[in-house]
Amino acid sequence: MSTQDVGAAEVPARIRDYLAMRLPEARDLVLDNLQRIAVGWSHETWLFDARWREGGETRTRGLCLRRDPGNALLRELSDLGEQFRVLQCLEATPLPTPRPYWYESDTAILGRPFLVMEKVPGTCPSPWGREGRAYYAAAAARGVLPASFTDTLATLHTLDWRAAGLEFLGVPAVGTDFAHREIAKWRAFIEQTDAPPDPLLTDLVCWLEANAPETTRLSLVHGAYRTGNLLIDDDRVSAVLDWELQVIGDPLYDVAYVLSDLNREGTELLSNVVARDTFFDRYEAATGITIDEDVCRYYHLLYAMRSAAFWLSASDLYARGASSDLRLARTAWSVPVVLERAARELGY
Amino acid sequence: MEHADLLERIAGTLRHDVGPAVADEYARTQAYMAAVVLGKLAAEMRAKAADAAADGADLDALFADLAVLAEGGPLPRALTGALEAAARERSDAHLSRLVEQLYTAREALGAQRFDALLGRVRQTLRARLARALAYSA
Repeated sequence: MSTQDVGAAEVPARIRDYLAMRLPEARDLVLDNLQRIAVGWSHETWLFDARWREGGETRTRGLCLRRDPGNALLRELSDLGEQFRVLQCLEATPLPTPRPYWYESDTAILGRPFLVMEKVPGTCPSPWGREGRAYYAAAAARGVLPASFTDTLATLHTLDWRAAGLEFLGVPAVGTDFAHREIAKWRAFIEQTDAPPDPLLTDLVCWLEANAPETTRLSLVHGAYRTGNLLIDDDRVSAVLDWELQVIGDPLYDVAYVLSDLNREGTELLSNVVARDTFFDRYEAATGITIDEDVCRYYHLLYAMRSAAFWLSASDLYARGASSDLRLARTAWSVPVVLERAARELGY
Repeated sequence: MEHADLLERIAGTLRHDVGPAVADEYARTQAYMAAVVLGKLAAEMRAKAADAAADGADLDALFADLAVLAEGGPLPRALTGALEAAARERSDAHLSRLVEQLYTAREALGAQRFDALLGRVRQTLRARLARALAYSA
């Protein structure tokens, strides 16, 4: 059975049947406030409140279901089974994340693997639109969110990932192994596409290999820590979302992402919410990590390689007929834009 | 009507007539995205002949300059092979291979010579990128 066999119209009834199986004591189970949230690049996301009768009482539980569309931008790197396992590991840590309930790899249920997790209170405005920018600008002015954004990243980078059971993500050796692993991962990703070799991209990859920084401290790294991937409730981060790119590695990899001007639009505030000085002072004080801007510049170039890999993969998915989403076709023209940034950084 | 003009006209119809009339958000986004893709294709088609000529001239100059730079001392055999193949084949794959071989030979070349050779390749790549950005950005 493929995902086409279980189309969006069928999904709500299938979810209800699945929950009835998972909650055998539940009677009169219904799904309230069901919505499929804005189509993302990776997974289909459904939010709803399950309501049922049990032991003479009415019970409700807010839930979020993510289904693998089968042609996700990150292909096999975006593994819902791994996401579920990461969320399980993080449940007992101080990092705010949704509580995971169930993961199903059986495609007979919804046509594709899916996971069900807690619907955490909060909103997640897109930082790329006018409304989202206004939201973050107002929140930044109030002062609570900039601190929460920074503190949550510090919590992520100081949590005991070994104790949490996250070693299964792979632990780089001390030295340059982390950077080389990332380069190898994205190189393999690029090689999956039919894209011909690009000499400028080759130069970037060779430069990255020749200049890999030493990693002196290993943390859990989210890989895409920015507004838009964080749920905000009452000006505080209520959940860190989108566990698709996480690795054990250099915490400065996340810091570089925060510092990147790719993640802000029309503002000097990092990730649209926090002033640079505030972020530096607060993050360094909370983690004991000194932000090395040269290392961050290296990671900006690694992100350029990663972005090129994303866009080559996306346009390839469309070209191969694996997706009919025209946003993916459009990304073929994003590759030169990403490479131009890299070329400038490399001193072209 | 030129093909590029036709694509641009279709893009305009999608952007101004089809998109606004579509109620469903996803389908509307797709209509606008189709307009963007067709607009870029049209611009790329228009530039294709001139860009190909400029690419050819740039490669002529590149391999002439690299030949002069190569005379500055012996090159590792693999690099010489990659340079000869790139000059002969003129494909992106061969140019990529040349870049890889430059990095592999970095130590043997010494910093100054490596920078001179790679810098000359980058000059050509930069010019080509600028042409692509004219319709990509």
